[in-house]
Formats: sequence, structure tokens, C-alpha cells
Amino acid sequence: MTSASWSMMLVVSVNAILFHAMPRFSRPDILFAVTVPEAFAAGAGRTLVARYRAIVWSGATAALAIGLLLPAFLPGSGQGGMLVIGPVAGNMMVALAAWLLAHRKARAHAVPFSDVRVASLVPRDTSLPGGTLFAAGPFAILLATAVLVYTYRDDVRAGPITIKPFGPLVFGGVYVAMMLTMAVSLARTTRQIAVDGLAAAAEQRFRRVNVLVLVLTGYAVAVLLSVTTVQSMPAFGDALSGRVWLVPMPIMLFNFGVALWMFRVGQGGQRAVAPAARQEVHGDATPDHAWKVGGLLYFNPRDPAIWVENRVGFGYTLNMGNARAWLLIGMMMLAPMIAARLLF
Amino acid sequence: MAGALRVSLNLESSVPAYRQIANDLRRHLVEERLKPGDLLPPIRQLAVDLGVHFNTVALAYRMLAAEGWLELKRRRGAAVIARNAPRAVDRRQVDHLLRQLAHIAAELRSVGMSSRQISLALRRLAQGTRP
Repeated sequence: MTSASWSMMLVVSVNAILFHAMPRFSRPDILFAVTVPEAFAAGAGRTLVARYRAIVWSGATAALAIGLLLPAFLPGSGQGGMLVIGPVAGNMMVALAAWLLAHRKARAHAVPFSDVRVASLVPRDTSLPGGTLFAAGPFAILLATAVLVYTYRDDVRAGPITIKPFGPLVFGGVYVAMMLTMAVSLARTTRQIAVDGLAAAAEQRFRRVNVLVLVLTGYAVAVLLSVTTVQSMPAFGDALSGRVWLVPMPIMLFNFGVALWMFRVGQGGQRAVAPAARQEVHGDATPDHAWKVGGLLYFNPRDPAIWVENRVGFGYTLNMGNARAWLLIGMMMLAPMIAARLLF
Repeated sequence: MAGALRVSLNLESSVPAYRQIANDLRRHLVEERLKPGDLLPPIRQLAVDLGVHFNTVALAYRMLAAEGWLELKRRRGAAVIARNAPRAVDRRQVDHLLRQLAHIAAELRSVGMSSRQISLALRRLAQGTRP
């Protein structure tokens, strides 16, 4: 088997596993991005999940079979990107179609959106985990590296592509600023769904972990770019040559651990809460009709929230009906352009 | 601050959302479940939690600030303040509220409550307990 075949097998398998696990990511009373009675999700809804998973795995098996048998029938097709792209795209489309079909079926059991809204009057902690000083850490790392680069400015080695010496650091600063803006916005403008009690505490813990991941991603980027920059200076030798990617490894491992933790506690941390403690919590306080493309996109101009809990996957997504969300998106799109301008 | 301090609103209700929020807050203030020095959530936070426009919450907070219950804090929501000075009775407002009460009393009688039952319920309400 060629390396392209192995790549195709890996991507198709990971994709199938992800789609298989997707119904488990939602809150206990959200099934295929539809708010349903929890009793339905835990009972009759399982048949729906089983059918969905059967289609996902059939699609994956067919994709693997086509991808592995194709080179035998079409000599020379075992090389190149088409062998990977074809089966992977096919598998993805089948899995998405299965999701959309299940979403449509689940809508027949949807719970009407309540007109009664309840909120807690107790102010909650919306600060960044570790405080402002900890959040500013990545900037300090980049600044220290910039001082070092300035001190040894005549010594900076020219790489294969001419990169401006301060380019990666300024790019790092832009990226970290973007991460922190997202972290602050997530901490402050996300709706609290459970009003009080254990369910609310679990939800707040889940949100803070998400915010921490953003802050730590800023650290990972700052450390990586700083080390890369220092590497380009002969005065500091090639001690880490080829192993630079190991530097942000602890943070990446932490983020991987967080992903596993999220899988265990479920969206909003609600699967870790006893059903009795979340009796008052229904859905995620967003109307089903505002979720588009099978629950992938949230568009609700009447909702003041910028971030809402994802219905497909963990974490949070932007409310595309909110102008402030578009400001954030604009910022995220601008960053790569700034990067290109600053790096070269 | 005691737990289970909540504010709720019903979007189907004919009562405007800002009034429903103000009414709930006033009830907590009158029943002293919210005490001087307690902080209320920032306007944006409460608006996002309730899914209403920021101005709706701001209006409710301003209404209670005008009544002398709250002190508005920039970007930090509002704080409950002590209402030490006896407030001058606003005759027009009292008349308006009594007229509303008269309508409600008539409605209660029409659904079968006796005058005695209504008086008892009113007394309990005035004492801060559920009728």
C-alpha cells in the first residue's frame, strides 16, 4: 500500500469515529441538534442514533473499499491526492447526509421553545482564568524575544525565504490578541443556561475550561514563535533543531486532555450532573428554528448573545445574526493577511 | 446574598419585558432578599441570559434607580443601596396603582373570591408573604 492509501484510511477512520461520537457531544436533551424530551433522547431516540451510525459506518466502509480497491483496477491511481480526496469527500458527504436525515427525523419530536425566560441575579465570575497578568504572559514572552532579536539584530541568519526578523513575533502578538479577545468575549457574553445549583456550577466550569484553552493556545503560539525566532540566531546554536515542535507540546497535551474531559462531561458539562440536579434545564435556551444546516450554524438577530453553545460538537459557536460576531469573524480573517504582510 | 435569586419574564405576557424584570427585582428588594451592598449582574450579562435587548434590562435598572433602590455602576451592573431617607409620596403614582388594584379586586370578585378572602390575600402580600 502507498502512503496515500494509508493517509486515506486514517482520515476516513477518524472521520467515521468523529461522526459516530457526535450525538454524544450534545446536551442530554438535544438530539441531532434538536431539543427533544430527555426521556426520548435516552429511550426511543437511541434507534435514531443506531440508524445514523449504521449509515456513517456503511459510508466509511464503502469509502475504504473504493480507496483500497481502486489502484488494483486502475493502475497508477494509487498515487496522488485523488486517492485521498475522493474517498474522504465521499465519506464526509455520506456522514453529513446521515446527520441531516436524522436531524429531520428528530424534528418530529421537538419540544416547543418556551416563552418563559429565567436568569440568576447573582453576578458570576467572568474574569479570565489566572487573572489578567497570566493572560498577558504570551505578550511578555514575545516582547522578551523581541528584545533579544533587537540585541542580536546583526546576527540574525537569513533563512531559505527572507523573513523579517520581527515578523513572526508581531504575528504572534496579533494571534495572541485574537485569542484573548475571543476568551474575554466568551467569558462575558455567553448565556448561562442553568440558573443555579449543580447544573449551573458545571456549566460555568465548562465555560472557564474553554476560556483557559484559548489563553493557553496563546501561550503555545507565543512559545513556538519565540523559539523559532531564537533558533534563527547563530548565537543560540541549533540545540532544538528539528525538535521545535516539542516546545508547545505540554500545552497541546493539556488541550488534548481537555478534549477527553469534554467528551466525558458532555456539552456544557451537563452529562456529569445527576438528572435530578438539571431538572429545570431544558435545551440550551436557543430556539431550534434559528439553527441552520442541521444545527451547524446559529443565526438569530433577536438574540443578544454573541456566543452560544454548539449543537454539533463541543464548545461554542458564534451567533451569525449578531453584528458583533461578524466583527470577530472579520478580525480572524484579517489575521492571516497581516501575517503574510509581516512575515515576508 | 441568598441563593435562588432569580428574575423571570414571559414573552407572551402583555406586561412589557422591562416591567416584568423591574417587578421581580422590586419584589426581591421589598422582601429584603436583596440587601444594601449586594451587586446585580451587569446589564449585558442579564440581557444575554434573558435573551432580551440590553436596553430592556437598562430600562428596568434605571426605573429602580429612580425609585431609590439601586445605584447604577458603569460596566459593573448595579448595586443595591439603602433607602434611608423617607421618600415623598408621589400622589399621582399611588392613585394610578390603587386604580389598578381596584380593577384586580373586581376581577378577583368576578372569579368568585369574597371580599374577606381578597383582604386577607392583600394583607399577606403587604407583609411580603405569598397569598
